[in-house]
Amino acid sequence: MDSPAIPKLRVLMVEDEEDTASLLTFLLGRANYQVIHAKDGRQAQELAGTIAPPDIVLLDVMLPFFSGLQVLTYLRALEGWGKVPIIMLTADGSEHDIKRALENGANDYMVKPFNPRELTSRLKRFVDQAA
Amino acid sequence: MLALDQSNLTLRIGSIAVISIYSAVCLLLLGILLLRFIRHHKDRRRRVVTETWRPLLAQCVIEVPDTLPPLTDRDRLVLLYLWNHCYESIRGEARANLKELARRTGTDQLAKQLLHARRLRRRLLAVVTLGHLQERSVWNDLAAMLQADNAFVSLVAAKALLHIDAKAAIPLLIPVISRRNDWSPLKVVAMFEPAGADIAAEAIANAACEAAPEIGARLIRHLAATQSQHGLPPLRALLQKGLPSDDVLAACLFLFGECSDPRDVATIRAHLSHPTWFVRLQAVSALGKVGVEEDESRLLALLEDEHWWVCYRAAEALSNLPWMTTERLTTLCNGIATVEGQAHLLPFMAQSNVERRRQVPAIPPQARTA
Repeated sequence: MDSPAIPKLRVLMVEDEEDTASLLTFLLGRANYQVIHAKDGRQAQELAGTIAPPDIVLLDVMLPFFSGLQVLTYLRALEGWGKVPIIMLTADGSEHDIKRALENGANDYMVKPFNPRELTSRLKRFVDQAA
Repeated sequence: MLALDQSNLTLRIGSIAVISIYSAVCLLLLGILLLRFIRHHKDRRRRVVTETWRPLLAQCVIEVPDTLPPLTDRDRLVLLYLWNHCYESIRGEARANLKELARRTGTDQLAKQLLHARRLRRRLLAVVTLGHLQERSVWNDLAAMLQADNAFVSLVAAKALLHIDAKAAIPLLIPVISRRNDWSPLKVVAMFEPAGADIAAEAIANAACEAAPEIGARLIRHLAATQSQHGLPPLRALLQKGLPSDDVLAACLFLFGECSDPRDVATIRAHLSHPTWFVRLQAVSALGKVGVEEDESRLLALLEDEHWWVCYRAAEALSNLPWMTTERLTTLCNGIATVEGQAHLLPFMAQSNVERRRQVPAIPPQARTA
């Protein structure tokens, strides 16, 4: 008899660059995550209002329409999203953004370019902590 | 009879002209349609290659598959863009897989061919790719590109050389940095980032020492961005060796202040009485960052400087000293003999008062009403 399949963890990935999004989707899919992809800040806000809080959020800082920091504030204000771990994806050297993101309720940040192994292990750590 | 012949001729010329115009318009329309068709075909081909290779590239980050789809030369060009984007998105051991993929698909060979392409865009793509691939066989070509008229080409070539072998590239780059005034110092600092902050700082400082004063001064100011102290020894040596230009001297003092190394305090103090006002200004600002208690009197004396900006920076430096309090600032202000000297300190005293008030916790509304 087959062992029951491990339920997939849900991750909301907010990333506008198609190449990076494709790479992240592959890496996260391989690490047994179900990826919900929002292509910009506006879509992220619309999606967040319609779905149940995911297990983790991966949020790019530089986004069209609304910045990652604005989306972060919006998500944190939503009911049930207060304790969802949010990891920010930021370009190298934007220390100001990192500081602001952590002050506004982000749990951690990853600098682009990122190490694929580090990304998945960090996500796992936060999901395990939340569980 | 003659009139009839003439009207026939006019009619014939007219009809030829109309036919010619119609033909030209038709040809133009055909041309446009052909161009649109070619463009559409290229876009479709690009989309197909992107859709096929984007997931494959993601997969290659973990492991390169045994079999790969066939590629035409045009497809390889699209793949080059995708490959570079993927390469620049990741760090660590995954990059080795992408290099293997490039060699297996022959994109490295294509990049070598494109290095001498007529189109600038393709040439730049080739330089970036060969840098990422650390392709030593093109070292001389890239070194020659450092002299390119186009600043962007030369900067990208410099970056590629640093990717290939940072230690060997730096001696090549130092004289170029000193010479090229079309290279933005910020770009130069960013260019050295992959080589590491310490290597970057040392290389930039050496280049600054050799460069013309206006370029050297710009480079030194941007050294602070590397957040490394490795750039300081060549600059200290430069100051000890002789008389650098005022611009370079001011830039060095600015950097000494930013790095706040106590070893430079004596040099900073020595320039508080420099004849050039902007050198004194940088010395005053730097002393505000590295000064000790005995420097208070030096800064107070500069509140009487003949140049307004020096006085302003002296007041600012005094108020920023780590041990300075509002009370101490008030005492110092009362001790100043001239009204002008006191006037420079007053805005900073007011500011420190406001900041102190901000630090006092706000009274809760109920307590206020009570």
